[in-house]
Amino acid sequence: MKPLILVIEDDPQIRRFLRVNLTAEDYRLVEAETAEQGINEATARQPDLILLDLGLPDKDGLEVIGKVREFSQAPILVLSARGQEGDKVAALDLGADDYVAKPFAVGELMARVRAALRRSSTMAVGQAGEAIRFGNVAVDLDKRVVTVAGEDVHLTPNEYRMLQVLLKHAGKVLTHRQLLNEVWGPNQVEQAQYLRVYVAQLRRKLESDPARPKHFQTEPGVGYRLVLEPAD
Amino acid sequence: MVAETGFALLLRPYLAPVNLAMIYLLGVVAVSARADRWIAVATALTSVAAFDFFCVPPYLTFIIEDFEYLVTFAAMLVVALVISTQTDRIRAHAIDATEREARAQALYRLSDRLANETKLFDTACVAASVASEVLQSQVVIFMPKDDAISFLRRTSATLPMPESEETIAQWVFRHGRKAGLGVDDLIHAKALYVPLRGARNVVGVMAVVPTNSNSTDLEQLGTLADRLANQTALSIERTLSHNAAEASRLQMQTEQMRSSLLSAVSHDLRTPLASITGAASTLRQQGERLSAETRNELLESISDETERLSRLVSNLLDMTRFESGPVALKRDGCPLEEIVGTALHRLRGKLKGREVSVELPPTLPLVLVDEVLMGQVFINLLENAVKYTAAVSPIEISALAVGDAVEVSLRDHGSGFDPVEQDRLFEKFYRSRTGNAGGAGLGLAIAKAVVEAHGGRISAFNHPRGGAVFRFSLPTLTLPVAPQEPRLEEQST
Repeated sequence: MKPLILVIEDDPQIRRFLRVNLTAEDYRLVEAETAEQGINEATARQPDLILLDLGLPDKDGLEVIGKVREFSQAPILVLSARGQEGDKVAALDLGADDYVAKPFAVGELMARVRAALRRSSTMAVGQAGEAIRFGNVAVDLDKRVVTVAGEDVHLTPNEYRMLQVLLKHAGKVLTHRQLLNEVWGPNQVEQAQYLRVYVAQLRRKLESDPARPKHFQTEPGVGYRLVLEPAD
Repeated sequence: MVAETGFALLLRPYLAPVNLAMIYLLGVVAVSARADRWIAVATALTSVAAFDFFCVPPYLTFIIEDFEYLVTFAAMLVVALVISTQTDRIRAHAIDATEREARAQALYRLSDRLANETKLFDTACVAASVASEVLQSQVVIFMPKDDAISFLRRTSATLPMPESEETIAQWVFRHGRKAGLGVDDLIHAKALYVPLRGARNVVGVMAVVPTNSNSTDLEQLGTLADRLANQTALSIERTLSHNAAEASRLQMQTEQMRSSLLSAVSHDLRTPLASITGAASTLRQQGERLSAETRNELLESISDETERLSRLVSNLLDMTRFESGPVALKRDGCPLEEIVGTALHRLRGKLKGREVSVELPPTLPLVLVDEVLMGQVFINLLENAVKYTAAVSPIEISALAVGDAVEVSLRDHGSGFDPVEQDRLFEKFYRSRTGNAGGAGLGLAIAKAVVEAHGGRISAFNHPRGGAVFRFSLPTLTLPVAPQEPRLEEQST
């Protein structure tokens, strides 16, 4: 059966546009206009994915994320206005999976929906001892060997750990806080500049043009995303 | 023109002359949209002549056999006139608005310098010095504040009477009658206090301390002081009403400036809205009857114009944010490479087919900036370069560490800008005359606001070997520990 998507959005025009596109791809659809209604539908219908607008009339959309995360691990995709990086970070730190900034193009949104559904249905990449590949980089997690175009590349322990975390969440945006927490533990979550330095070093070692990274993408003001198969 | 003629000659065997005229018409449209009216008309006339000479049989003469071509000639001329008039008007409108704003700002500065307060005290000081000469006495004029007289608001540096006499001055101010030395029961006071009675109310108090006093002189002194007080009151009142008039005039100027800015902005907002509404309603009413190609064109214009509108709204919001007070920066040490990379990624569509070189020394320190806002600076500068240069013209981004700052340069290979525009490039709503400005003239203004919020400076100049250069400085951050082996390492498990 096709995945069930819950749309929590108060604006009827945006709901209409989402409905047209999601049903065109054969997704099953539930709609909610308020936060309250959204939480109820999420409890009752157990959707496979939730599209959540942050600016809801009755409650802050962030509250919905907290409530839903108490009982569901379904991916949550946040629709947020441009320039509100603080909201995006808060949503992601609370457990949202990704965000799309309004105004967005339909292609981008559908790609994010597909990616989120795929991530939640498959296990983490590279489980069976096989090397993970992106571009001309191959990472063998068992042997801890990283090669670029067949050549061994030396990574410092910090760089390697960072790469591991990014690979584990490949395709998903990770906030600075989430990355720092996973790489160095909860005491170092305010040291974003170190992250930037390590990402810069990973780019220099693994990207063909570090000033135009294809895989280690920056989400300005939010965090980083490792894209295994960039669209262009 | 030569290219067009060549092109037209090439296609002459295949196309009807009227269609060849379209090639010329295209050139006329392109020139009219950029140059002023007379150049546009001249282009139209030469196009007509070239078209007649090369493309209308008999060829290579100006003789016309078929008089239908006169219609073609007239059409070319009219198109040139209409488009160039329209362009002129829009341009004049924007320039007008910025000029009016500059004027109002100058007025503000002027009024700062000649603050009402100063003018009022100047008037009072002149009156006091005249009175002191005429009365052969020390004269001080006190001014009211919040409906009471104050010894602190006075015309002389020294106070020739005891401070306790402030109550006498207060009484004089309230009752509008003179008191003090030689008057009534306060005969032993140090000074004579005379009210400055204007037409409507008392505007101050004049205090007279005679240098050599004997009682017969005192009466004469009183009468003289009365007369002087009347004069002084009148001139102070005049200054007051003049100040009020000035203030309301300034207010009006500000209002006017605001409404002209508003009309410039609403023009920019309405234009894309009009295209969107037009295209959408056409699709709705004639959707079935239109060819697939036309439908696609209309849809494309809807999405292009929406994007333009969305960019304009973001720019306006950013600008408003910076104008309404200091912006909270989320500063962090960032590699410049990352900020540049993100901007290039965002603009990859617009930069397609263009060579953008990035030269950053590997030893460049981290810059201490708000990564989102600084990214916007690069995006705006790149968009500006895209707007004013040819589609394949390369762009160079480079940076150098200079002292404890990083100096960033972005150079394009376009035709540069007119030096007279140098000071105005960063003004809001200013659009350079050299390009086919599609924006609202906010991009560079925002870039400047962001750089300055970071304590840096931005400037523009023409490169000696061609093209415009934008250069700005950014603060840097030295990491307390070497990034290669940080302390973070030890605490990890």
